[in-house]
Amino acid sequence: MSGELAAPERLSAGDRAIRWAGLTALIVGGFFPLIWMLLTSLKTEAELQKFPVQYLPGMLNFANYLRVFTEQPFARFFLNSMAVSLLSTALCIAVAVPAAYALARLNIRGRGLLLTAVVAFSMFPVVSLLVPLFRLFRGLSLLNSYPALILPYAALSLPVAILTLVAFFSAIPRDLEAAAMIDGTSRVGALLRVVLPLSAPGMVTAALLIFVNSWNEFLLALSFNTKLDMRTVSVGVTLYQGEFAFPWPLIAAAVVIATIPVVMLIAVFQRRFVAGLTAGGVKA
Amino acid sequence: MTQKNVAAPVPKVQKPKGRIRGEASEGQLAFWLLLPAAVLLCGVLLFPMITTIRDSFFFNKLTEPFNGQPFVGLKNYVQMFNDPRFGTSLRNTLFFAVLTVGGSFLVGIPMALAAHNPSRVRGIARVALLLPWAMPPVMTGLIFAWLFNAQYGVFNDILVRLHIVKEPLLWLSTPGLAVLAMVVTIVWKTSSFVALIVLGGLQGIPRELTEASEVDGASRAQSFFRIILPLLAPSLAVAFIFRSISAVQVFDIPYTFIQQAPAQGLLETLGVYIYRTSIEFLDFGYAATLSVALFAVSLAVTAVYVRFVRDGAST
Repeated sequence: MSGELAAPERLSAGDRAIRWAGLTALIVGGFFPLIWMLLTSLKTEAELQKFPVQYLPGMLNFANYLRVFTEQPFARFFLNSMAVSLLSTALCIAVAVPAAYALARLNIRGRGLLLTAVVAFSMFPVVSLLVPLFRLFRGLSLLNSYPALILPYAALSLPVAILTLVAFFSAIPRDLEAAAMIDGTSRVGALLRVVLPLSAPGMVTAALLIFVNSWNEFLLALSFNTKLDMRTVSVGVTLYQGEFAFPWPLIAAAVVIATIPVVMLIAVFQRRFVAGLTAGGVKA
Repeated sequence: MTQKNVAAPVPKVQKPKGRIRGEASEGQLAFWLLLPAAVLLCGVLLFPMITTIRDSFFFNKLTEPFNGQPFVGLKNYVQMFNDPRFGTSLRNTLFFAVLTVGGSFLVGIPMALAAHNPSRVRGIARVALLLPWAMPPVMTGLIFAWLFNAQYGVFNDILVRLHIVKEPLLWLSTPGLAVLAMVVTIVWKTSSFVALIVLGGLQGIPRELTEASEVDGASRAQSFFRIILPLLAPSLAVAFIFRSISAVQVFDIPYTFIQQAPAQGLLETLGVYIYRTSIEFLDFGYAATLSVALFAVSLAVTAVYVRFVRDGAST
């Protein structure tokens, strides 16, 4: 980031060309697939079935967007995804903050071992947990419910959340806390009144990472919540295809709607995302 | 309580860290702060994983309830090592892991270099960098299946317009091309992660360092390979390990591709095979055994990571 304030560089024409080619490739490559989906979603079936491909739709045709909601209960899928993602984010943060504080600030024997264990949890293959979790939730009558997804989503994002928050807590000077404690505040009081406000950016970063993980999850949502009313959008977008038929304009419209929340979050919080991910140790 | 008060004026050992009177000890506090996380991790991740390991020694087929769920020792493991489909899916998994991890570095590092330069379009470049990472994998699979569509896909259209091919390619129904299409899709989705980690590393390198070397007459390429790349080694190692773990566990993108591609056998990864064995064949015992195999592969990668972190911390 320090480079941003550096003196304007003298660059040869060749260097400039390379730099702009790189940036263009990055931007086109990053946006193209989603933009192509947007264009596809606005086309009619007739416009679609042309080769060479007709790039732009003849006119803005929003019929596919309407059909997304009439052919499947997509509004319900969206609501389910929103509820599950927000609640798993809240649960994960509520559990991760005290744990990360303890790991970053308290004198714990075996701290290194605990941190290693947290990292180790982040490599558990989700598909290996499918059957036991399925049976556990069936036993608890939790299949086709929000908790069936909230609990595993919160647990799966917990290692990443803890590691991110430990990094942020460790960056806050201990003196600030010590000063508050000398002034008569308890340790928990210092945590609530000094450490938490200062680590708000860290919590936002962690929350964003958890939300995106939860919004995107597919395997558990596909297996646990099989009732149409309990489907999430990541599964919902796959429900428009038949055995052999792929109504692409319709699928494209569903994909565009389903990605709106994620795209909006990264557009608004791009700095936070980059800060959180560049800190390292975050699962792909 | 009173005894403690009596003993208090003459403490035998002065605790090095000041402790405020009336508070729980740090150990107790830590226990209560860590408890919820431990319960969640153990209940939802560790306990099911142990159950999976146990199940791998039992027969448990939902389609044959009359056979009960007897203990079968290593029978499932013997079955696994004689199962050609397991061999194929493991080979596919490792093959895709090598190609997609390698590919994500080849694409991700230049992406990071492009995004690192200050420019007027920095914000847009940053969103372009984040978008593939944030895109739901299932939707990435669907999008690319459409881009690679044989009849109306835009990739074929571009290749035909540029006269690179005469006839549209049957991407998803030609085995070799289906593999290539899936590799391209996974690389698109995962290069961002590598780029973001590398970007973090680049931001830690003072600009003067590279500029000084250029003044000394080093070419751009020389300064990149001799100075920047070695300084990026820790970031590259972190990216490599996390990419490797997620690459061997890949599920969503192969799952969506298989639904569109007749060349299924080549695209089936171990994750997809486990899913099918559990949910479609309802063979929970054997699925558990396959899961243990996937867990072992992931564990091997993690062991390398933990070792790397330890070495990094001690030096």
